[in-house]
Amino acid sequence: MDSQATELQDEGCYVGLTHDHLNAQDIMDRVRSPQAGAIVLFAGTTRDNFDGKPVKELQYSAYNPLALRTMITICKDMRAKHGLKSIAMVHRLGPVPIGEESILIAVSSPHRQAAWRAGEEALEECKSRVEVWKREEFGGEEGGVWRANRDGLPGEKIPDSAPTIPEDSGDGPFGPVIRPRRPGEKGHGAVVNPKPGQQD
Amino acid sequence: MVPKPPKGHFNVLYFASASSFTSMESESLPAPLPLRKLFETLDEKHPGIKAKILNSCLVTVNLNYVDIPEKDDDPDQVTIEEGDEVAIIPPVSSG
Repeated sequence: MDSQATELQDEGCYVGLTHDHLNAQDIMDRVRSPQAGAIVLFAGTTRDNFDGKPVKELQYSAYNPLALRTMITICKDMRAKHGLKSIAMVHRLGPVPIGEESILIAVSSPHRQAAWRAGEEALEECKSRVEVWKREEFGGEEGGVWRANRDGLPGEKIPDSAPTIPEDSGDGPFGPVIRPRRPGEKGHGAVVNPKPGQQD
Repeated sequence: MVPKPPKGHFNVLYFASASSFTSMESESLPAPLPLRKLFETLDEKHPGIKAKILNSCLVTVNLNYVDIPEKDDDPDQVTIEEGDEVAIIPPVSSG
């Protein structure tokens, strides 16, 4: 794969990474189809605070070839699973000022229900898997912090004492794990959301 | 753009927190290297990176995720070869 590439296409699927402004009209036109009865567009925009703490600017970086590969895999899965006509996903990189779009996902399908569901699921898959990183700049002496989507907390190691999913059981603390384990996954440790006062 | 590694070396790419910790985006290390030795090799170059960063990171070799063998006699041992592209993948945060 060309490691300089910033977009990939496959039947009914388009993914891209760009340092430019994102354009909602462009991505909608990519999925437009006479066989579609609905286009659902999701636009993720950059928020001015994290838990009340003011954020001055966001910086996104990516492992481009791997991020594009993961994005196209998600799009192909969503297209097949929800019977979409078409799906497109574009992520912005570099500095993104507050209030601007950092990600656009557009899906088209014959009927609206599938489009709503696919749009939601595509975003969740993207946030949990695509190799893109967000740095929140607080300004002044505070600097910035690399965010981690899995827990809404900065990217810190989860302590060994945190609850873990037994390797053999197939069941997690919240019931069965419904998707197969991915290679390399154990490196991230268990996905937990520690809450104050809830630790053993 | 990451330059090709010199002869007898592989590249390791750093992203996000790993890049902040090392103050670099990539570096070349001597190949071959058993994958299970990767973290300790990096920790020798960047003291503290294993506990602070690597233990919560995933690893890819040539764009494929790999499991780091935990023991020397683990059956699936992988060796990082000359010219390979290894990447340290911290927890992601797109969107």
